[in-house]
Amino acid sequence: MKKFAISLYAAITVALMIWGFYQAIYVAPDDALQGYVFRIIYYHVPSASVAFLFFTISLIGSIGYLAYRRTRPAWAQIADAWALAGAEVGVVFCSVVLTTGPLWGRRAWGIWWTWDARLTTTLVLWLIYVSYLLLRRFAAGPQVQTLAAVLGIFGALDVPIVYMSNRWWRTQHPAPVFGGSEGSGMAPSMARVLLWNMLAWLCWGLLILVLRYTVERKHQQSAAQEALEALAANS
Amino acid sequence: MDQAAILDHQFVIAAYCVTWAIQLGYLAWLGLKWRAQKRKAASSARNPH
Repeated sequence: MKKFAISLYAAITVALMIWGFYQAIYVAPDDALQGYVFRIIYYHVPSASVAFLFFTISLIGSIGYLAYRRTRPAWAQIADAWALAGAEVGVVFCSVVLTTGPLWGRRAWGIWWTWDARLTTTLVLWLIYVSYLLLRRFAAGPQVQTLAAVLGIFGALDVPIVYMSNRWWRTQHPAPVFGGSEGSGMAPSMARVLLWNMLAWLCWGLLILVLRYTVERKHQQSAAQEALEALAANS
Repeated sequence: MDQAAILDHQFVIAAYCVTWAIQLGYLAWLGLKWRAQKRKAASSARNPH
């Protein structure tokens, strides 16, 4: 039953991805100013939204780990697995943002990159979470999870800064389309395509997030088993 | 199709291909990690100390 539900969810996700791609390439109209290249937005914006969501999951997991590490170690391990999964999948989506953005910028602005507030804060966010993953991968010792949780919390503080950067400062990055100043917004025919792609990438992201969480839980269980066996061998 | 339209099209396709390369690359890496974890669990179940 569980296997069937996962397969069904995966099939729906793939169908949504295909539908989103079809809508973005064949149905959405060209932008009046930017023309055809505007279609990059249909992958760029959903990836950014999903990255923010997963960094928030990582934040909640990190706080949960710090809160329960002494009182409820089993809960703390679950929270830590969510924190790691959120950070890692968030980095994947953030990498998509940082590659599709410059591709759009090259055509729209004539440059690949500029040190504007939105771009710089996004790069800093990516670097913080890459350092989080490197810490988890290469550091050893009992404090690694605690240090990673603290770093995860500090990293997540950059998420609202990235989100607000093109509201707080004048940036070369386009002004916010949704929830921006008066007159901002998108034609319904474009907004519909964007929402389809947001739904598709959210479903895809949740699928790989749960997969990553499961792998981490298995890793934790085998590490705990190895530790028990080592203790039994020494006593 | 003029030169600008061709370039626009190429940039859109490049962005979509890069997105899929990153996502599917990560999924493949996750699959390998999953398989390694499964093998490790199976071997420790066969050889308990």
